Amino acid sequence: MTTGFWHQVRAVVHRDLLRERRRGDVLWVTIPFGALALLLVPLAIGTDASLLREIGAGMYWVIVMLFGVLVAVGKASRETLPQQDASSLLGLDPAAGFVGRTVSSAILLLAFESIVGVVAVGLYNIEILAPIWLAVTILVVAVGLALLGTLTASIVNSTTAGTALVPLLVAPLSVPLLLGATQSYDGLRYGHAIVSWVSMMVAVVIVVAMIGVLTARPLQES
Amino acid sequence: MKVQTRIRWWPWAAVALSLVVAFTLSMISPRDDVQGELVRIMYIHVPAAWLAYVAFFMTFVGSLTYLLTKNLRWDRIAAASAEIGVFFTGLTLVLGMIWGKSTWGVWWTWDARLTLTAIMFFVYLGYLALRRTTDDPVARASRASVLGVLGAVQIPIVHFSVVWWRTLHQPPSIVRPDSPAIQEPLMLITLIVGVVAFTIIYISLMIKRIELTHLEDQLTEIEHSTDQPVAGEAVVVPELGARP
Repeated sequence: MTTGFWHQVRAVVHRDLLRERRRGDVLWVTIPFGALALLLVPLAIGTDASLLREIGAGMYWVIVMLFGVLVAVGKASRETLPQQDASSLLGLDPAAGFVGRTVSSAILLLAFESIVGVVAVGLYNIEILAPIWLAVTILVVAVGLALLGTLTASIVNSTTAGTALVPLLVAPLSVPLLLGATQSYDGLRYGHAIVSWVSMMVAVVIVVAMIGVLTARPLQES
Repeated sequence: MKVQTRIRWWPWAAVALSLVVAFTLSMISPRDDVQGELVRIMYIHVPAAWLAYVAFFMTFVGSLTYLLTKNLRWDRIAAASAEIGVFFTGLTLVLGMIWGKSTWGVWWTWDARLTLTAIMFFVYLGYLALRRTTDDPVARASRASVLGVLGAVQIPIVHFSVVWWRTLHQPPSIVRPDSPAIQEPLMLITLIVGVVAFTIIYISLMIKRIELTHLEDQLTEIEHSTDQPVAGEAVVVPELGARP
């Protein structure tokens, strides 16, 4: 595999999405699990419609963060050591592999966020404000979570802890994304500017992307 | 191979002296008009929080420098600093809870600074957990360094949370964008002396921990050296051409 960087990225994305199409982990397991979690919350805290409407957006983002980690990590950790060795021997650029795995994770996370979002709007009667900003927030969160999941999965890959450690690493690191997403929604609801929150999320995404691309090779070699 | 050990007395002398000065000042500084004697918790709470920031920043510096130079000494600095940072973050949280119970009436409140500090604690707890999953020093350093750099994203968010959000927690006591929150000179001096004392503690602990990590690495090297018997003395490697 001595082709260009973006061609390698496309090949990795194609491979990952094909694998997901065959296995259907996200579509048939994670998305129904996320929807079920949204259904269980009112059973625990009460079925007051106004309360659920008030907390609905926050609950949605918490579910996205916790279950989104499963989407990103589950996919990234499925690549075994022999498969990684084969990719290296074929000449796959580690950075291209990282970007490709991130893009495919982001696509799956977007699907997860969209479907679970429709369920959340239906169950909690969440008000949809400024659809363009909402779409931007959903996109940035998907990319950010995909980056964090892919990077931490690369870090713990082939350690004795395996993927058990990944949720402990990703969940606290995804807090800036959770804060940005929830504060953006609150800002729209109360008429405040949300550019600073979106900017913070974008800044986090850029920093994590740079770390991921620059450390892809040393992580693969380790 | 012989394991080299050295015992330095001056770090501990510096720690003892600085602690005595800080303790004396904290006892003679005036009581607060609102909080009374409780304000003295601040002389440990704020320096502990400062130390946590310094420690995690050094973890970031050590991790980044390791990634650039591949020198294991920087990884040892990052690891030692993270351990100290986790301890002092835990101390900050516990002291903050005691302070909160007395002033706000609850052990825990969903304050931005408190919550984000607890989250930062878990980030570096994860960092230490990650280090325990690999025996190979080089692989461990490569993996942990990436996380050490990534974890630093949290530090400015935690620090400026009291500026960005309307919270119960007071604004930064010394490092503040406009002006210091403490107006009483002796209280401010005591706090600054406390910060200096804790910084000396940090430096001393770092020196000892880095030495200890170096000794651990030497010990691991001895354990894995090739001149050791593979299966103990019970198994003898047969010599070629030897007759029974």
